[in-house]
Amino acid sequence: MRSTRGFTSMRQRLLAVACSAVAAVTLSACGGDKQDKADGADFARLGAFPSTYKAGEAAPVLIRGATVLTGTGEQLNNTDVLLKDGEISAIGEGLKAPKKGMVVEGAGKWVTPGIIDVHSHLGNYPAPSIESAQDGNEMTAPNTAQVWAEHSVWTQDPQFALALAGGVTTLQILPGSANLFGGRAVTLKNVPGRSVQDMKFPDAPYGLKMACGENPKRVYGGKGTAPSTRMGNVAGYRQAWIDASAYKEKWESYHLNGGEEPDRDLQMETLAGVLNGDILVHNHCYRGEEMAIMMDIAKEFDFQISTFHHAVEAYKVADLLAENNVCAAMWADWWGFKHEAFDMTEANIAIVDQAKACAMIHSDSAVGIQHLNEETAKAMVAGQRAGFHIEPRHAVTWMTLNPARALGVDEVTGSLEKGKMADVVVWSGNPFSVYSKAEKVFIDGNLMYDRDNPERQPHSDFELGILDAEGERLPKELKGSNGGEG
Amino acid sequence: MKIKQLAKIGVLASLAITTPLALAQSLLIKDAKVITLSDQGTLQMGDVLVKDGRIVQVAEALDGITADLVIDGRGKVVTPGIIAPDSELGLTEIGAAAATNDSAVQDTSIGAGFNPVVAFNPHSTLIPFNRAGGVTRAVVLPSSEEKIFAGQGFAINLAGTYDSVTHDALLQKIYFGEYGAELAGGSRARAYEQIVSALSQAQEYASNRDAIRRGEWRELDFSVEDLEALQPLLSGEQPVLIRANRASDILQLLALAKEYNLKLIVEGAAEGWMVAEQLAAARVPVVIDAMGNSPSAFEKLGARLENAALLQKAGVTLVIGAPGYAGTHNSYLSRQGAGNAVAYGLPFEEGVRAITANPARVFGLPGGVLAPGGVADLVLWSGDPLEVTSFAELVVIDGKPQSLENRSTRLRDRYLHPKAGTGHGYEK
Repeated sequence: MRSTRGFTSMRQRLLAVACSAVAAVTLSACGGDKQDKADGADFARLGAFPSTYKAGEAAPVLIRGATVLTGTGEQLNNTDVLLKDGEISAIGEGLKAPKKGMVVEGAGKWVTPGIIDVHSHLGNYPAPSIESAQDGNEMTAPNTAQVWAEHSVWTQDPQFALALAGGVTTLQILPGSANLFGGRAVTLKNVPGRSVQDMKFPDAPYGLKMACGENPKRVYGGKGTAPSTRMGNVAGYRQAWIDASAYKEKWESYHLNGGEEPDRDLQMETLAGVLNGDILVHNHCYRGEEMAIMMDIAKEFDFQISTFHHAVEAYKVADLLAENNVCAAMWADWWGFKHEAFDMTEANIAIVDQAKACAMIHSDSAVGIQHLNEETAKAMVAGQRAGFHIEPRHAVTWMTLNPARALGVDEVTGSLEKGKMADVVVWSGNPFSVYSKAEKVFIDGNLMYDRDNPERQPHSDFELGILDAEGERLPKELKGSNGGEG
Repeated sequence: MKIKQLAKIGVLASLAITTPLALAQSLLIKDAKVITLSDQGTLQMGDVLVKDGRIVQVAEALDGITADLVIDGRGKVVTPGIIAPDSELGLTEIGAAAATNDSAVQDTSIGAGFNPVVAFNPHSTLIPFNRAGGVTRAVVLPSSEEKIFAGQGFAINLAGTYDSVTHDALLQKIYFGEYGAELAGGSRARAYEQIVSALSQAQEYASNRDAIRRGEWRELDFSVEDLEALQPLLSGEQPVLIRANRASDILQLLALAKEYNLKLIVEGAAEGWMVAEQLAAARVPVVIDAMGNSPSAFEKLGARLENAALLQKAGVTLVIGAPGYAGTHNSYLSRQGAGNAVAYGLPFEEGVRAITANPARVFGLPGGVLAPGGVADLVLWSGDPLEVTSFAELVVIDGKPQSLENRSTRLRDRYLHPKAGTGHGYEK
């Protein structure tokens, strides 16, 4: 993996805070880090709605003789992968089958890390899409850093299961982009849950959704309030960071010197959590010049932007992204729905990647999230057509390790490495083919989706007794043949 | 200028070109896999000869024949050009920029009579982009936020010229289902009644045209323009494309079509598979989004990826449009939709047919098949035409090889290696 020194040091700090804030520590990276006492104030509040997700006790799984894309840049042919105790236990040739457990014959199959989508609104904009379920955008003020996307998640959104069938094991749910500061984003494991806590990725850092450009200025300018221009947007960000810096200092001074405890402010907590490195900035931002300005704002107030999302013009500032250690999450080919999405090139991801910046695919779509392997394939070919040498073993990082890095969970998932979470997809063939399907999806070593076994396909409450009172929304899987011109 | 432009079709440099493309009156593709979708079926290795805008011959080996331009098709696949069945190409540039959109009017005085054809812009950036994706022709449709009658659609080729409109007043577009109900005042029943009353008043108008025009008739609910526009529906000259997704909505439309003898095309049909046999029996074709499997509305609870396969199996004529999430800017992604439909059970050749031959037949457009005498609209693909890793290497419209340059490739080439400084401003 590429050196990410700045990011890693921030990660270490935030993991230290995360580990001290929550009793049940599952992040392997949490081991020896010490909490920095100067950051004494707990702005991230990881303990407020703690994850209650517990992976089931998984019997060992041996995937035998498959083509393995490790997510670390390697393609291993005819290779075995052993999942044990919820972790990747071994990768190699001739691994011994476990006494008890499952053996998956991998001949002709491909194995990848579970797909990670850094940009989803599942549960916040669920299906069916009706007025009363539009819970993703608190469009009442340009700064709503105080709202948390997890508090809007409808866990019974039937689209989670569709994404799982597309190989998605981890996803970030973000507030919408109407506001300069949309609120907190949450990272989920794609598992069924009665509460959102049942789905929360243990100890994953929170995200802060920010938005550049057209949306905030349209929403608030249209109401005759600030911001109504891009320069108004920037004034809004900077004032908020000034306020958050003061809030952070106030609390740090209290922790250091005592005195009267300051009042808590939910909005300021989230922003201060960014300033002390606990919360990662996920910034909806299309245009190159706006990304450059946002990176300067980050320098002015001494915080790090994790990722620009919908970064249609990332290719124009790919070198700046690399320099500033900022990731870009992109589509393969969406464009033209608004002015800031007009300068699209299909080589966007490849150009960003080849400039040594952290590039990834993302969906922002309940349909797109099911086909991120196809979207990555298109972006890979666009890169090849641009003259870059990009193979599947590298392109797979655009949908696995790089998004893991953007979410601050790359030390525990996103690649097939010993000791990492056993978040694994077995594909019917090369995942960069329209005809290939995720056949088996493991999360923490548990078989959460099995295309061959309807009993191992999650169905949300919504599916029951709808369209057919005695059945489910759709009849049992119709066996589709694998196509191709072959 | 043209020669310079065509010299930039980089891929073709590797295709053994003997003559500049634009000057080629005849074109021979050799040794490609040829999917004709005609009686000739698929040739595993075949030659295609094009001359004066028409396909002259398709055969396993056209030995001894030469052409202005000979292209080595080994390892590649030829198909008819893609036909986009439900686009707004030439009527939109930027979705959220009102000034660049001409597909709809904020005006309740016109419905069925609305015809946006004069607004067509052949210089739209969407045209070269979708052409590079293999689209050679498109149906261009109006839309409406006021009335269930959106108006009349037309057809274009994607040559991007002032004479690209090939068929004016091709069809009428109407909304039923949830959106139709909303436009009609809150109920499907009202939307249905509006269609029925428009059709019956159009009949009344036809029988009493002069009296109505003189004002010597009862007041009708629709303008003369709207009632005129509905005449070709009643006479069967013009098909009517009606949006509906719920199974019961589709059945209502089948009954309506039968009563008024309409040439109905159902657009949407997310639950089409549930009434596939009825659709097949009524010989009503469907235009679907093959990737739209989310139950994203209560009228789409039955949405599923097997919809295409089940419809086709029942004998319904299947047309696949662009995935809904991609929109008109990415009309060419009907190809990805067809690939997904094949992954979920649609026979491969039917997948190709659903984006070429079937839209040609359903909308009465040229092309769609490769047959001697037919229009030479074709694409040479780098591989399997439905595969996401394949791309168009040659696009031919009316026998003419097209430029594959577009803003996406131009911006790519300008920024392949982004660097600091002012230099990029002087690159082309």
